[in-house]
Amino acid sequence: MLGRVTERETRPMRPTIGLPQALVYHKYFPLWGEFFSYLGADVAVSGPTDKRVLNAGLEAADSELCLPVKLFFGHVLELAQQVDFVFVPRIVAVEGDAFTCPKLLGLPDMIGALGERAPSLLSETFNMKRGMRDFYKSVYKVGSVCTDSSIKVYRAWRSGLRAQADYERQLLGGVTPLDVLGQGIPEKEPDLTIGVVGHAYNVYDRHLSMDLINRLRKSGGRVVTGEMLPPKVIERELQRLPKRLFWSYEKEVVGSAFHFIHTGDVDGIIFLLSFACGPDSLTQVLIEHEARKTSKTPMMSLVVDEHSGEAGMATRVEAFVDMLRWQKGRVC
Amino acid sequence: MRGYLGIDVGSVSTNLVMLTEDDEVAASVYRRTRGQPIVAVQDGLQELATQLPEDVEVAGAGTTGSARSLSGVIVGADIVKNEITAHAIAAKHVVPDVRTVLEIGGQDSKVILLRDGVVIDFAMNTVCAAGTGSFLDHQSARLGIPIEEFGGYALKSEAATQIAGRCSVFAESDMVHKQQIGHRLEDIIYGLCKALVRNYLNNLAKGSELAAPLVFQGGVAANAGMKRAFEEALGEAIVIPEHFNVMGAIGAALLAKASMAGGRRTSFKGFCVSDLVYDTSNFTCKGCANTCEIVKISIEGEVLARWGSRCGKWEVEERVSAAKA
Amino acid sequence: MRASFPHMGNIHLLMSDLLERLEVEYIVAPPTTTKTLEIGVRHAPEFACLPLKITVGNFIEALDTGADTLLMAGGTGPCRFGYYAETQKRVMEQIGLDFSMVTFESPAAHPAMFVKAFKTIAPDKSVLQVWRALKTSFAKGRCFDLLEKRLLQLRAYEVAPGSTTAAYEAGLELMSKAKSREQIDAAYAEALALLDEVPLDREREVLKIGIVGEFYMLLEPFVNFGVERWLNEHDVYLERSVYLTDWIGPSRRNPVLGVSDADVGRLAHGYLSHHVGGEGQATIGHTMKYIEEGFDGIVHLLPFTCMPETIAKTIFPRLARDMDIPVLSFVIDEQTGKAGVITRLEAFLDLLWSRRRAKGGVRELVAS
Repeated sequence: MLGRVTERETRPMRPTIGLPQALVYHKYFPLWGEFFSYLGADVAVSGPTDKRVLNAGLEAADSELCLPVKLFFGHVLELAQQVDFVFVPRIVAVEGDAFTCPKLLGLPDMIGALGERAPSLLSETFNMKRGMRDFYKSVYKVGSVCTDSSIKVYRAWRSGLRAQADYERQLLGGVTPLDVLGQGIPEKEPDLTIGVVGHAYNVYDRHLSMDLINRLRKSGGRVVTGEMLPPKVIERELQRLPKRLFWSYEKEVVGSAFHFIHTGDVDGIIFLLSFACGPDSLTQVLIEHEARKTSKTPMMSLVVDEHSGEAGMATRVEAFVDMLRWQKGRVC
Repeated sequence: MRGYLGIDVGSVSTNLVMLTEDDEVAASVYRRTRGQPIVAVQDGLQELATQLPEDVEVAGAGTTGSARSLSGVIVGADIVKNEITAHAIAAKHVVPDVRTVLEIGGQDSKVILLRDGVVIDFAMNTVCAAGTGSFLDHQSARLGIPIEEFGGYALKSEAATQIAGRCSVFAESDMVHKQQIGHRLEDIIYGLCKALVRNYLNNLAKGSELAAPLVFQGGVAANAGMKRAFEEALGEAIVIPEHFNVMGAIGAALLAKASMAGGRRTSFKGFCVSDLVYDTSNFTCKGCANTCEIVKISIEGEVLARWGSRCGKWEVEERVSAAKA
Repeated sequence: MRASFPHMGNIHLLMSDLLERLEVEYIVAPPTTTKTLEIGVRHAPEFACLPLKITVGNFIEALDTGADTLLMAGGTGPCRFGYYAETQKRVMEQIGLDFSMVTFESPAAHPAMFVKAFKTIAPDKSVLQVWRALKTSFAKGRCFDLLEKRLLQLRAYEVAPGSTTAAYEAGLELMSKAKSREQIDAAYAEALALLDEVPLDREREVLKIGIVGEFYMLLEPFVNFGVERWLNEHDVYLERSVYLTDWIGPSRRNPVLGVSDADVGRLAHGYLSHHVGGEGQATIGHTMKYIEEGFDGIVHLLPFTCMPETIAKTIFPRLARDMDIPVLSFVIDEQTGKAGVITRLEAFLDLLWSRRRAKGGVRELVAS
């Protein structure tokens, strides 16, 4: 009754599919964008988060949810009028031994609870714990809103994977998702290297992060992020934990934080997290514990929610950057 | 005259009303609690008495508000009710087909939904200060504008300033910021009203349909800016009852009247309670590490009530509650 | 070695029984009080959920009273609980406490680790001995749960206030002393009889409320302000969606509740069609069951920022509207006060009685 999935007979010939520019968007947009385009769908991406999207999200979502999920609500509502379906996958697991996050597991149900205001959702469950075959089944079901040809869906998926691999290669080469999306500004003769860790949906949402990446670049920083680290490196860093984390995206956050903490490749680390994030609330302890123990690289945690004011954030970032320069014996 | 007494003691204000047999407000008192609920009730009663004819006969008394149990013991209430029910009953009395009650008092805010005269849902916010009367009072003091004139300023605004009003601390710093960069005072004040309304709706009314008729009551309803902001946000006209700031007490009086229907004799102790000396003392129970603060209310050596323990071992309270039939 | 463990409802009765069977020296941590809460809040991460904070308080108080080995359950996610032990360990190391921590991972997911944990605390016991001890203690725990379930059903009808609670506590006492399976069965029968002998007023009109939510909030009266007892004593018959032994497993059939996890999933389908960790789906599933059974309302308890329950809370407004059932959610953190909870509960009962009356019930809101 909720999470309405398309019925074959109501399928438009050339559906418009909405991709909310929130949550997993920054991670997977080349994959799904290419997948749907290959299948002949019109892909509509919601605009970057702005005040209107934020307010719509705050108004619609339960006040105890974390900010990125509230923003997701806002993006879905923005797309609601313009598209045939909004793509809201239930991403349960992207690897065999870990989940994503409870809120991603319940995402289609939470959006469905909007009732009449909810758009038609294109929603399938992606769960690598059930294996590749089950995963492919979901891919086919999603593709079936555009075509009856399973071979076409398969080709679209391969094409999507190629686009994704290409994207990830670019990131490993040292650019951020913002640069790929054309939302980043160029570096400006950087004299400091700053490691930014945190979930992609926090770090690369310019509204939520109050433009952290560009702000650092403007003040003469070179930004490095977890996306630039090969999975091998992340995995090696995670060996420091006695118990494996069971949240995939959290592993990337912790792994990259540990890497920056231990290698000393960066002058300072900024850990951006959102209030009410369950996994971050615990990994913050692990990360800060590790930073204190090693005490090689200064680290600052920035906790954001909808109450955070830009002025306060700007001051903190400025002060942190100034102190890093001061420590290197330079005048800020 | 015969009448019914209603008393609403909150942490910020204490309200008393006397209703006639015809449910008319014969007298009402609105005063500050100032952290002394017993004194507030005693002084309030005295003040109420001065407004009443000499032949007044109290046929029933009800109490509500966060100090409902305490004030119930003091005056000898026939019924002690929570403030949500009391407010709903009072609003229904004024607007019989009311479907939504918006209530913003000094220390908390509530939304109550009724359908076909029955409360079907409610929400209450006691944690967040943003959007309560106290916060508005504080801001009016800071801006140097008497709270009574706040509404007038808000009505003059043509372009409300955007204020991040989700949290009182942030709202205040944002307001200071907006003042510093030169926004007009009336726009800031109306912006604040709009922010408080948005905050109220997001926190309390999520997912619920705020249908007309809407009644807005509580001390903050005096603020015309808040009324305007609610009307703009909801797109509906809002009714403010004549006695908007003593609605809790009116509800308590109506409940008292209903509870006396069977010809019961009131247990009201009379206006003389104003002159009695109640002794309140507290001690810390050492029974366990909870170290609960136990409050004891006694009169002339006789313990009237005792409460405050988590485990309930000290609770002595005259069973005045009619919650149990 | 002297072991200890955190509190949660009656878990200390179950753990004491098990540790005695395994001949492990242990102490029961001082009961959870506001002091425990303060200690936990001071040391635990600010943004963590309340159960983590309070159990840190329990651990620190246990160490203060002579324990040196802390026992904690693990988990495989995605609820934060599975990573509590790791986090707590770091928190306590950071403040310089000296202890060792033994984490019991799920026997289904990590059987070897589960066995190893028992080897650590009871090196002399064979796997078979451990298994037998577990089985017997578990059977006893199930009896505790069944007694509690009965308590919640009967207490609303008691003639003398407190009489059912007293009988229940006497029953727990009897049960605690029982050792062998035969003794356990006999003690259980006796405890049940004690409860059933309490004079009841079966004519009393009562409300039926289902109480759902996060397990720690439901099981631990300290954090829920004794809401169950309060409701019972205000004429409310209660069913609860979580019991200790059902929660620990190992079966998914939930013998105490009488509803399997699969059934819960089926009931929740359409509103919450996938598990989301913790009790999120059970909260919705049991709510649907209570609605089917004609309950008057639902009380939902959750810690602030609890992920699975916040998902359920997001879904409740729609469900409540569709099904025409009042739901009252309490989001609880260290700042929640009892007065606010009671005021809302009182208003909620008024609401439920009004609805009942509108449907032809007899009881008036105001007694005459």
